[in-house]
This record gives sequence, C-alpha cells and structure tokens, in this order.
Amino acid sequence: MQTIALIGNPNCGKTTLFNTLTGTTAYVGNWPGVTVEKKEGMVNGHRILDLPGIYSLSPYSPEEKLSRRYILDEQPDLIIDVIDATNLERSLYLTTQLAELGRPLLLALNMEDLLEKEGIRIDRKRLSQMTGCPVVQISASKGTGIKALLEEIERSLDQKRLPMQPLFSNFIERYITTIIKDDYLHQIPKGRQMRWAAIKLLEADELFLASMPQPPQAFQTYIEQARKELVEHYDDDVQAIIIDQRYKVAERIAKDCQIRTKKAKQFNFDNLATSKFGAIPLFIAIMAAVFYLSIGLVGGYTTSWLESFFAFASLHIQVLSDALQVHPLLSGILVDGIIAGVGAVLTFVPQLFVLFLLLSILEDCGYMARIAFIMDRLMRSMGLSGKSIIPLVIGTGCSVPAIMSSRTIEHQKQRELTVIVTPFIPCGAKMPVFALMLTYFFPGKWFIAPLIYLLGILAVVITGLLARALDKHKETNAFILELPRYQIPAAKNIWLQTKDRTLGFIQKAGTIILLSSIIIYLLSSYSFTLQAVDAELSMLATMGRLIAPLFAPLGFGFWQASVALLTGIAAKESIVSTLSVTIGTSSLGSFFTPDTALSYMTFILLSSPCIAAISAMFKELGSKRKLLFAVLWQTGFAYVAALLIRSATLLLL
Amino acid sequence: MMHMTMDELTVGQKGAVKAINAPKQLKRRLMDMGFTKGVGVEVVKLAPMGDPMEVSLRGYHLCLRKAEARAIELR
Repeated sequence: MQTIALIGNPNCGKTTLFNTLTGTTAYVGNWPGVTVEKKEGMVNGHRILDLPGIYSLSPYSPEEKLSRRYILDEQPDLIIDVIDATNLERSLYLTTQLAELGRPLLLALNMEDLLEKEGIRIDRKRLSQMTGCPVVQISASKGTGIKALLEEIERSLDQKRLPMQPLFSNFIERYITTIIKDDYLHQIPKGRQMRWAAIKLLEADELFLASMPQPPQAFQTYIEQARKELVEHYDDDVQAIIIDQRYKVAERIAKDCQIRTKKAKQFNFDNLATSKFGAIPLFIAIMAAVFYLSIGLVGGYTTSWLESFFAFASLHIQVLSDALQVHPLLSGILVDGIIAGVGAVLTFVPQLFVLFLLLSILEDCGYMARIAFIMDRLMRSMGLSGKSIIPLVIGTGCSVPAIMSSRTIEHQKQRELTVIVTPFIPCGAKMPVFALMLTYFFPGKWFIAPLIYLLGILAVVITGLLARALDKHKETNAFILELPRYQIPAAKNIWLQTKDRTLGFIQKAGTIILLSSIIIYLLSSYSFTLQAVDAELSMLATMGRLIAPLFAPLGFGFWQASVALLTGIAAKESIVSTLSVTIGTSSLGSFFTPDTALSYMTFILLSSPCIAAISAMFKELGSKRKLLFAVLWQTGFAYVAALLIRSATLLLL
Repeated sequence: MMHMTMDELTVGQKGAVKAINAPKQLKRRLMDMGFTKGVGVEVVKLAPMGDPMEVSLRGYHLCLRKAEARAIELR
C-alpha cells in the first residue's frame, strides 16, 4: 500500500479535499512519537493523510512540528501540495521547500471556483513546466476536478517523477554545487536529498547538524567561509537569504503563470465584523444567537418532549415487567438504571447537535480568525493571546476539541494557560446539570443561565491575570495570524464535524454512561454484604459518605451529591443520571436548597473536567506535573468559588 | 538614522519592506509569511482597540501586533 500526504498552507481547503477524497473512510488516529492527531483515510486503496496546515517547513507551533516531522521522517510515496489558487505566490513558497524533499510532488490548485470571481487565470501548463510537477485544478468544496486529480494521483504514484529543484541566484548556487560534490554529503540520512542537505548546512539548521557526524576540518572551514561570504554579499543572515531566494522563485513562477484580469474585491461583511464600535457587540450578539438557537429554541422544545417520552417509556416497561414477573433486579437496572441514566443524557442530543452545527459553521466561515483579531488586545492583558479565544468559543460545545485547537498557539506559556482555562467554559455536557437545577430551583429566573457563562469567563480572567502577575519574565511574543477570505462553509465539512461530535456524545451515552448507570444502580441498591437494601445503607452511600464531609462547607455534604461528582469525572452528563438514579429528579428539593444548588452548580462548572478532557489536557501540556497543577488549580478554584457563592447567596437571600 | 517602521503606517498607507530587525525566531517567522526585502505592504485596518493591525501583502491579509510591526523597517 502506498502512502499519500496532503500538505498545504492553513485555510487552503486541505481538509475539505481530504473529506471529498476519503468520503466516510476517514478516521482520526494517533501516530507514534508525538501523540497528536492526524487524520487518515483511504483513497483508491492508498493510505492518505491530512496533516496540519503549515506556511513553511521551519516549525513554530506543535502543529507545524508534526507536519514537518511527518514529511521528513515518514517518506510518503506522494506529496499532494494543496494550493489556494487565489493565493498562488505565498503558497508556492512552501512548494519550493517541498520540492527539495526528494518525493514526487503533485500540485492541486484548489478553489478554482473563486478564481473567476477574483479575476485570476492560471496557466497550468506553464506552472507544470516551471515546477516539474503535474498540476490539477480543482474545487474541493464544489467537487470539480476530483476525477482528474484521482487519475493524476495514480499516474504520479506509477511514474515517481521528482519535481524540479528551485534554483537560487548564481552567487548561492556556486556554493551549493561545491558542497554537493564533497564526500561528506554522502553521509546524509537515507532518503534525504543532497541539495536539501547542502542548503541546511549553509543555513546551519540545528536539527540537521545534530543528525550529522562532525565534518572534516577542511570542509568545515569551507562551509564557514561560504556562510561569511554570503552574509557579506547580501548583508543578511543565511537563513534570511534563503527565504528571500525562495520567495524570489515563488514570485517569478507566480508572475509567469498568473494572469490577473481585474483587481480583487474587498470584503464587505468585514467592515462591520471588525469595525471599531461594532465588532465586539457583534461578536457578543453572534454568540448569544448561537446559544439562543441551540439551548433556548431547539432545547426548549426537544428537552421536555424527550423527557416525557422517556417517562412514558419507563412507566410502560415497569408495567410490562411487573406483568411478566421479571426479576426486580433486572427491571430495576432497566428502568431506574438505564432509562433514568441514559435517557437523562440523550435528552440533550438535539440541542447539542444544533450547538455543534453552529460552532462548526463559525469555525469554517473565517469568522473565528476575526474574533482572534478583535479580541487580541483584551486577551493579551490577561496573559493570553487572541488565538486563545478560539478554544474558549469551541469549549462551549466540548472541551476536548477546544483543548486540541489550542495547538495553533505558538507561544508555549500562552498555550498552556489556554489549556488550563478552557475547561472553565461550561461545555455542552454540563448543560444538563444546570438545566436540571435551574428549572427545579429557579423556575422563570432566565438570567441565571447567562450568569453561569459569565462566571466561567470570570474564572478565565482571574486565572489569566494571576498568571500574568506571577510571570516574572513578562515575555513578549508574536501574534501573527492570517485573516482568510470569508467563505460559505462546505456543507460536507460542517456535516462531518457536527456528526462526529454529536455521535461522540451519543457514544458516551451508550458506553460510559450506560455502564456507570448500571453500576450506580447496583451500588445504590445493595449493601456490601450483597443484600438488597435502601439506598441509604447501600455500598454507594458508604463510599459517598467517605468524601461527603469535604463538601459540607459548600452545603452539599450528602453522599448522593459526592457520588454524582465522582461519576462526573467519567463524563459530566453522568452527574444528572447519577442524581436521577440516587435521588430522583423530582425530590431534589429535599436535598438541595437554592443556595446549595448554586454552590453545587458552581463547583461542577469550574472543577476538573471529565476524563476525556483531562487526557486532552495531558496531551497538550505534555507533563504529568503540569497536568496535576491544572487539575488542582481548577478544583481548588471551584471549591473557593462555590464557598464564596454560597456565602453570598446566604447573605443576600 | 532609523527609518520608518510598519507600525507607524496609518490605515490605507503603503510601504515597502527594507529590513526586519527582530530576534532570529520572529524574523524567520515574519519572512516565512512573506515579509522579504522590497515586498509592498498596506495597512488595511486596526482592531477595535487600536492593536493588532491588519495588513495586506502578496495578495493576502495578515494580522499582527504593533510590537511585531515595529520590527519591520520600511524604506
């Protein structure tokens, strides 16, 4: 089986192409070494990989490092360089680097549907001549040119033709030619190209030098002399000279192959989206609309409908099993365990589907980058970056993809801080708990729900400000972000992403929550001597009572609440199912009071997230010590906040 | 004499890059994004709070902070 790697700049439509090519065969997998996701699928019997978008092979963020490492170490049989055809020049800069890797290269000119609108025509034949690569023009989102691309993939895999090497100015080429002739170059790692190695030697690329044996003295002297002469000639450092030369090649090719018939149009929506006074209100309005549509509108209808459906179902199953004289253990598991637990969670599927759908649209249309642009100044004052806003927005859906999306933040401290604060934003799985508590204790008090989100944001702000105050170095760091063209999201991308996230939620209901509902039911119905007993004397009660005293100051020092928190570590949706199994959603009032309900919600909002999010945090933080700190910080913060909220409500009410 | 830097441009003003005066890492990053000698840049707009700025170069739009723009010397 041959391997094809898709590579290209961020926003070039790579993932859309991947989805188009692989259909439903795609899955997200880990690859050895770094546990970071890359997507993998099958096309015509070949393995195809979707790597994170990069601008160059010199890596800055963990995402870019993944792509570079893969491309250099795994030696794919074919590299497909996906090029945003409306952004030819900058895309070709990466092409000049890919051409040196000694792998067959295929140029996929994407977004052909936009070319005409932008007034650009590309001479594909000329482009193919100048790069030595086959060129196919496609539109991944419209699905045009895909057949031709598939044919060209087969041809390229057969022919294994290598691309032409981009040539620099004669002054540099002289040195490269001399270096390539030296015997020392035969010691380069297998699969690497001589020319590539010569350039890396001149650039003094640290990773490359470390992989090579010590060069002979005479050769070392020659390299140093060459570097010195280059620096003198161009009045710049060698790496800068090479970048400059690559861009000159890209400029030359783009100039020759690209015919602009009219000037590019300006963005229109953008004038409002990033305007001085309109931008932030618009952002808030969009987020409010997202929540209103999903939780308010759709959730309002479907929740009560599904709740009555499950109540109906459990009633009839109970009647049926009584009539059939089913063993009470079995009917108990079914009705009070599974239907109560899983049902309570499934109720939220429709509104989460809408939430995931709307967030996917926001992610795909190009608005997220504008949010980062308008919020950067504010985020910076809290030790975060404009890019941190993206995980926070996605976090309203689910913390797991949100934490993973922090990977685009180059600066390590900011990235880690973002990872730690992202779970403070209430995810969709926490909604059921809030909904349950709010409808029971605060009916009609609609303003409390937004306050929960506000509290989450406040936790982010406080943590950020503290981290900034404690940071002795006060490092400044770069915030460089492409503002892509707005686009109508590709329906297929939106659908796949929404489907994946919703199915993930349903899957949890069918596995973790199903299992924990059964276990909770059994533990709450039997004593340690395996006698059927009242819940009060059950194993679960005994275990819950061990930790319950810890929460007494917060007002929920009874075992049911503690056990629910424990199951919440498996999945936050379990909190509701556990409460409904152990207390029953209708008798919440005999356990909680309004003030303890508030403090309970606060604790759930801010304390350590579910196990899936914890493992995502671990992946991104990359150290157990940091993870422990993060979880302790979140839980400690939650404890103090819940204590304060409870005291405040007691004083006020 | 120090020349004008990109952060000093107002919205709608254009310039051409003369040099990048930044630590190695940032310099390389800026150059990778296309800020090489002689390339034309135009400030498109400023974020609502005056920073960062949106510039256009090589036919695309990029956002960067004024602190980074200061590293880009214009001629």
